[in-house]
Amino acid sequence: MGAGIAKPSTPRQAPYHIFMPSVLEPVKKPVIKRQSKASDDLAPTFYVVCWNDPVNLMVYVTHVFMKVFGWNKEKAQKHMLEVHEKGKSVLIREGAEKAEFYVHQLQNYKLQATMEPAE
Amino acid sequence: MKLVKQSKGNWIYELALNEAELLLGIVKKFPVNKLAPVKISRTDKESKAKEREKMLNESLAEHRRELKKTALNLINPSKFKRVEKGLLMMLNGEERETLLQILNDIRVGCWQALGEPEELHPSKPEIDPKEFAYWSLMELAGYFEHRLICEED
Repeated sequence: MGAGIAKPSTPRQAPYHIFMPSVLEPVKKPVIKRQSKASDDLAPTFYVVCWNDPVNLMVYVTHVFMKVFGWNKEKAQKHMLEVHEKGKSVLIREGAEKAEFYVHQLQNYKLQATMEPAE
Repeated sequence: MKLVKQSKGNWIYELALNEAELLLGIVKKFPVNKLAPVKISRTDKESKAKEREKMLNESLAEHRRELKKTALNLINPSKFKRVEKGLLMMLNGEERETLLQILNDIRVGCWQALGEPEELHPSKPEIDPKEFAYWSLMELAGYFEHRLICEED
């Protein structure tokens, strides 16, 4: 007789290692070319800064911040106190046109406001 | 001076007669000094900053001319109404902001004329009359600013 029907072999569990690569392949991170600052499409932004002086009343500065930025009293007071205690406060970060607009508004009220390039 | 009514963007203040006289006298003094040029930036050295600074100073000069025109309207007798205790001053929101800006321009102008002192009171007992006038005007402008704002909540 030939071999006959082969005796069914007992199902064997495949060893776990055949499902897993024995050596992890290094993951290649995609290379992202960083744009240089000069070729960046984003327009430059500016910080609108208010500087301390001894003459503008605290209540007046708070009022102006509320009027110009539409802030509530709490936020306006927080920035006013920062000006008073730290010598300056960064009020907002905006593009050139808007920053310039805010500086004009604040200067109309005689606050010492400037726009400084944001890095 | 006290706020007696505020509704629909209109503000009514009551002033004693001597307060009203003082306020009118102060507003008539506007402006107290020549407009000093301002800087638009403390760090930006680019040419655009110079352009912006020029525009800012032109705009501030124009704004001051507008304030001067409006100042005369603010002290127009039609703004006041005689009442038993003094006078009522009626301002809309825009007029109130203008009055605040005028008063603060006067206050800051006096301070600049005094050499921008750190301490807001005379450092010596004897002051010449011109300096005394600036100190007084600065204080009074501040008083009226405070009265205009403090009751706004």
